[in-house]
Amino acid sequence: MINKTILALIVCVSTAYSQDELAVKIIKTVTEIMSPENMKSIGTQTITTSSGKQRTFEFESYTGGKGESSLTRYTKPASIRGQAFLTLNNANDIWTYFPRTKRVRKLASHAKKQKVQGSDFTYEDMGGGDVFLKKFIPKYLGEENKNEALCWKVELIGIQEEEPPYPRIIMWARKSDYAPVYLDYYDESGFNMKSLSLEDIKDVEGYPTAMKMIMTDHKERSSTSMETLEVTYKWEPPKDFFSERNLQK
Amino acid sequence: MKTLRILVLLPCLIWAQPEFFGYFESEADVMQLGSNRYSYGYNKLRLDVEARPNDHVLIGANISAQKYWGKTNWNVFDFIPGYESSGMTMSFDLPDTLLLDNMYMKLSFPILDLTLGRQQISPGVGYAWNPTDIYNTKSLMDPSYEQTGVNAIRALLQLGDRSSFNAIISTDENPGNTIKQLQLKSGIGRFDVSLSAAKFGWKTARAYAYNYDELDQRTLLGGSIVGEIAGLGLWGEFGYNEVDYVDDPIFWAASFVYPGQMPDSFSEYLIGVDHTFDNSLYTLCEYFHNGYGVAKKNEVFLSDYLYTLAGESHSLMQDYGFLYLMHPTFDYVSLSTLAIANFNDKSGTIAPQLDWNAFEDTDISVQVSWSWGTDDTEFGIQDWGLRLRLRSNF
Repeated sequence: MINKTILALIVCVSTAYSQDELAVKIIKTVTEIMSPENMKSIGTQTITTSSGKQRTFEFESYTGGKGESSLTRYTKPASIRGQAFLTLNNANDIWTYFPRTKRVRKLASHAKKQKVQGSDFTYEDMGGGDVFLKKFIPKYLGEENKNEALCWKVELIGIQEEEPPYPRIIMWARKSDYAPVYLDYYDESGFNMKSLSLEDIKDVEGYPTAMKMIMTDHKERSSTSMETLEVTYKWEPPKDFFSERNLQK
Repeated sequence: MKTLRILVLLPCLIWAQPEFFGYFESEADVMQLGSNRYSYGYNKLRLDVEARPNDHVLIGANISAQKYWGKTNWNVFDFIPGYESSGMTMSFDLPDTLLLDNMYMKLSFPILDLTLGRQQISPGVGYAWNPTDIYNTKSLMDPSYEQTGVNAIRALLQLGDRSSFNAIISTDENPGNTIKQLQLKSGIGRFDVSLSAAKFGWKTARAYAYNYDELDQRTLLGGSIVGEIAGLGLWGEFGYNEVDYVDDPIFWAASFVYPGQMPDSFSEYLIGVDHTFDNSLYTLCEYFHNGYGVAKKNEVFLSDYLYTLAGESHSLMQDYGFLYLMHPTFDYVSLSTLAIANFNDKSGTIAPQLDWNAFEDTDISVQVSWSWGTDDTEFGIQDWGLRLRLRSNF
């Protein structure tokens, strides 16, 4: 009887251990495929408000250092043409540029949670890098079908000291290639405040790439769709590309 | 110089298949000053042209056409406490303008940007005031409005990801007014730090009072810092200035009867803080000290007002506060309020504003302002104002 109990305990512990290992492995692989060394893309961003009004922006975007640095510049509409923002250190440092005044403003960390151009994406959401690995503890929740694919389901619990962008995230990543297809973001009270759906995933130069991302804000009942029109990972940033100087070009 | 610039840049612009964009802006204002009510406004068309013949060259230009309506002839004394009912007149007109505002060429080399021509230069990190900005005059009621260009040669040398060195030489018809400015900028941890030095001809309050054409020389040593502490955005900007007065016997004699101050040096500094709360309310607060301003209400002379209205000084008096609150309240509608306080004469203005992005590229804004303070103060002389502005970008 005692032997059986010990055996069950060992099985339980080793299963939990292997599940934790699996969760870490999933998040490591997701981070790897979501963080190519460099990227250059052109896309559109369509914001749909709770009342159904829509605004569409066009932008060009560049990332470097596996998402550690990024530069996004709006090209349309005319009212925001040339407005740009630069993020360094995984969006811990943000600068914005306003072409009308020719001024660059450095934003404090509270601004990371601000909406980019009134969209449902925050500056922090736009930052990449290894945020999931550094600021969260992953927990394996099983397998589940999501966005028409069999997925790993992983819970990411924020590490308080690391100041995670959200206290808790649940992520679904395809079993076939570890491409994330859906993320639920929760606030401190456990409310599912936002969801990100990654759709039309295509293989671009060896990286599974979501050509369409829809962020839905469940509290404000608005959504923002980001569509990728052109993308390449073979782009090499010139020296000092991610700089205030280039932000103003 | 202007003709040469047009001759060189215009063919380049046409050859490089330029992009055209800009905006139309229409503004209507009502202002109550004592027993007088004025209505006025303008219609403005700004056309920007930008061409990139290749990755290393940017040519930019813009034309601004502005037509005023309503009251276009003003008496300066209407805005000066104690003189508004004096019957004295110093009138100025707001003429319709067709202005080639900016016209410049920017050449980009691997670590160097060279910009030549009439260009917008906006140094400093402050929102409402900039002690290191010696090129522009900001409107406190709309500090983020675009500035006009200055004729300059500007070289920006990139010294790494977050460091750069800037050299500017700006000239106009008067060679004595040449501005020479150097600026070093770098990132230290989570802070951006800059140091700047400038030397330029400057019309001091004394020269202005006596309508003296010769410019005194001013040396500015300044800098700025911007970063965050405990989650709050924090910035500071300062300028230490030394004035080298013109050594002219006539002027020297006149100085004995000049009632205002003639400091050999003075400082200006600004401290600012901002924060966005969880409910999306954005708050910005700045304090500004201008050592060249007048310290006490009873020491403000007519010449000080005229000098400040001419845009030669960053402020009339020494100590000011600025508060800005903004909340994106509804879809494409934001409500904001700005408040300006003159701590020396205890006057100020508060101005709530509604901004509505009515259609894509079309904005409507309404601003109402009320002033406080006694009638003999900087802001107290005004009672209230109303501004309606429409802007459509193309």
